[in-house]
Amino acid sequence: MHNKRINSLSLLTHAALALALSIASGSFVAAMEKPYPGPFFENDELLMVVIPRTAEQMAAFYEARGFPQRAIDTVTATCFVTIHIDNKSRHITWLETANWQLTSQGKTLDILGSEYWDASWEQIDLPQAFRSTFFWTQLPPVVDLHADEPVGGNIVLPGNIEHFDIEANFRTGADKQGEPLQVRFTDIECGTTQAQP
Amino acid sequence: MTQRLAGLLIILLLQTPLATAADDIPLGVMRINGLDAPGLKLDSIDGDPYDLSTTGGHWRFVHFWASWCGPCRREMPSIQRMMPLLEDTDLEFVIVNTAETEDAVFEFLGIVAPELVPLMDTDGTVTQVWMPRGLPSTFLVDPAGKVQYLALGDREWDKPAYVAFLRRLAGTDHK
Repeated sequence: MHNKRINSLSLLTHAALALALSIASGSFVAAMEKPYPGPFFENDELLMVVIPRTAEQMAAFYEARGFPQRAIDTVTATCFVTIHIDNKSRHITWLETANWQLTSQGKTLDILGSEYWDASWEQIDLPQAFRSTFFWTQLPPVVDLHADEPVGGNIVLPGNIEHFDIEANFRTGADKQGEPLQVRFTDIECGTTQAQP
Repeated sequence: MTQRLAGLLIILLLQTPLATAADDIPLGVMRINGLDAPGLKLDSIDGDPYDLSTTGGHWRFVHFWASWCGPCRREMPSIQRMMPLLEDTDLEFVIVNTAETEDAVFEFLGIVAPELVPLMDTDGTVTQVWMPRGLPSTFLVDPAGKVQYLALGDREWDKPAYVAFLRRLAGTDHK
């Protein structure tokens, strides 16, 4: 079994260029001109796009769905990143976020999962309809992605993170014994990148 | 003997429409477990009650969506365009909004699909029972109430491959 590691140099180059342009021009016009609204990896088997969100973007999204302010406060205290994945292969590709490594300054980060959110919503007695909407906006932790199947949603990290790396590991094949795929994104900026929805 | 064989052949042909349909499953649609469909008892946005368990005898296109979901927004107009292409079948469209208000649904559908009358899963609990892989999700429920197919993500439902597939399903079991 071979472990296919993809160091996305072109991705990093694009991201660095976009960041440099944004600093120079004060906008993310360059990033908007790319085919995807954030750093991405794409080959014949997989498309993965990473879209960091600002607290303002997340507040606006949930406010527009009528979420109460106490829920907005909970949301904006964290770091949201929208992930989009397309399984472009003809075989099953496993999305298993438990197999992803998220790190910041050498420290491992845990995705704030359903246990965290269930407890948070219990604490503020959030109505069920909002809990349901929030649930469906999250990236599912496990999906056996079939051929041509897309999946998208947010992963949420603690709010005290500024920059982080993602090493996304995908097993393949129905029995998970196919050639694994690894995609790396580095220096993702949390909450400040003006990514477009 | 020849007549008996011919009769057997006709019986076999009549019994294989589902297999024929399965052989031509379009991209992004997968055959699944064939288990009983979960309960689906909701009111429509117009206030009319609906119960999936009382509407057997034909195929049902059970679709879960929300207006905030980008793929749902892309897909919904194609459902609107597909419906008249299948109006001569008795395929039933069961469109379920997940956990949104009537205002949000009306505002969205009024523009992109004004003829759709969705069911309102106001707290999202029915959607969770169906366990879609995400939003949007479409399940195809057979006349006996078994979930036979699942569409993965958003589809351009008015494309010929999907229309033909649904027509084969609906056409074989209702006429």
